[in-house]
Amino acid sequence: MSSVRPGSCADCRHFNGRPLDIEAALPGLSSLSSAYAAVRSNDGICAVHDRYVAASSVCASYAGRQLVDSSASRRRRHES
Amino acid sequence: MAEIAERSQSRLSARPSLWSELLRKEDWWAIWIGLGLVAAAVALFANGASIKWIAVAPQKWAHLANAAAQLQAHAVQYAALFVLWAVSLGIGAAALGFKLTRFVPAFLVLYVAAGAIYFLGLWDQAAHYNLEPPLVALGLGLLVSNTVGVPRWLEPGLRVEFYIKTGIVLLGASLPLTLIAWAGPVAIVQAAIVSLVTFGVIYYSAVRLGLDRRLAATLGTGGAVCGVSGAIAIGGAVGAKKDQVSVAISLVVVWAIVMIFVLPLAARSLHLSTGVAGAWIGTSEFADAAGLAAAQTYGGYAGNVPGIAGHAEAAVSAFTLMKVIGRDVWIGVWAFVLSLIATTRWERTPVQSKADAGEIWRRFPKFVLGFLAASAVITLVSKGYDYAAYKKDVLPGLVAPLQALRTWTFTFAFLSIGLTTRIRQFVSVGARPFYAFTLGVAVNVVLGFVLSTQVFSDFWNRLGQ
Repeated sequence: MSSVRPGSCADCRHFNGRPLDIEAALPGLSSLSSAYAAVRSNDGICAVHDRYVAASSVCASYAGRQLVDSSASRRRRHES
Repeated sequence: MAEIAERSQSRLSARPSLWSELLRKEDWWAIWIGLGLVAAAVALFANGASIKWIAVAPQKWAHLANAAAQLQAHAVQYAALFVLWAVSLGIGAAALGFKLTRFVPAFLVLYVAAGAIYFLGLWDQAAHYNLEPPLVALGLGLLVSNTVGVPRWLEPGLRVEFYIKTGIVLLGASLPLTLIAWAGPVAIVQAAIVSLVTFGVIYYSAVRLGLDRRLAATLGTGGAVCGVSGAIAIGGAVGAKKDQVSVAISLVVVWAIVMIFVLPLAARSLHLSTGVAGAWIGTSEFADAAGLAAAQTYGGYAGNVPGIAGHAEAAVSAFTLMKVIGRDVWIGVWAFVLSLIATTRWERTPVQSKADAGEIWRRFPKFVLGFLAASAVITLVSKGYDYAAYKKDVLPGLVAPLQALRTWTFTFAFLSIGLTTRIRQFVSVGARPFYAFTLGVAVNVVLGFVLSTQVFSDFWNRLGQ
């Protein structure tokens, strides 16, 4: 189903593929289409380049999401 | 910190699995709901019953007292229909990520407003005062959202595409598969001519005006293929800037809404038959929901406005064949070809996209499969009936109730278009994108008119008989 490569936008913390965020960022999208539509595939918004990109794209500014997640978990454990 | 981690976790759905596709895309939910209703209708029909009790719809009325009496007599059915929609659409909305406790109250308001508009459309003077339900729903929605505004709690219920796709799946039940096979190739040829010419005009005029090729392609497919859906599909495939996608969406929405009013009025003044007008609207409208509003409006003129030949269903049928079969299903191909060109021919951007033939399936509008499946099921069920028996049994017991359910979903969608369209939110598009897109609109409308009324007119007229 997926053609997403390791290290691609899909795994990048700068990439936001959440439908409601996409609809909020693109006014008019929900008036005559939807971010839940199959035609969107798994595209999302790159916060670094301010582009609307496919989840399978790659770039030099890639920042792994898992690093952020594990560091956030460590901090949460520390805070608790 | 916990908030950041939660937000980060919530984004981890970027890698899709087969199951998440089936549960988290509204195309699939439109199929589950639409085909579920068709299956229930067929099962009841096969056992000598009918779904028509719950598929209640207003009948013609002349005085308010008649309408009130109708409502009173069928109050339980209207309540049951609300429960049916709230449960089926609510399950779908919940799977998409909306809270049921927020969706259901919002949907209740939409249901009541849609019911009032549906009733108004059945007033025997409605056609005289141009009170066609799609136009009333759209106009009322636009008025509310652009004056007093829509409260935030109502927003979860305004899912235009979810409703319109469910309605299109149900529409398959009233279009025999044999008709789709007969008319589909002509629709594809006509749509291909118009799509290629319109894309070419918008793309090359945009590039000549000095616009970025990614913006030109996003504008071109928005105008030529499937409106806002086309714009986001190509915007993502070629890696357009977010603002470029916004510009394309703004232009498509504004022109699509203008065309909802202009195309039926122009066709009416020219006394086009319902089949021909439906084909023209299917060629020259940009979005499914907008086009169905225009086509259903025109279908409403049949039998009410002198000089309009053809039956009411022909406008919606011709529109659907042209738009859904002729244009929508090709968006994956457009996305693949343009992403290939973008990665190999255009100037590079910091983000490198990947051209992949799998794009054709991933972006395929899956609800079309539900539309074809519904058509196949009803065609199969109707096979053993001659025309007289079909009209006596199958039409009132099976097909007409599904048509009534479809009209409900379309009315939800038309009202939602107006209520979600806030003119102030649209970005300033700039003169050059406006000129390029508007030139494409002009060419599209003229070419669509010539093909529908001259080149293929006999064909579309026959569809309406």
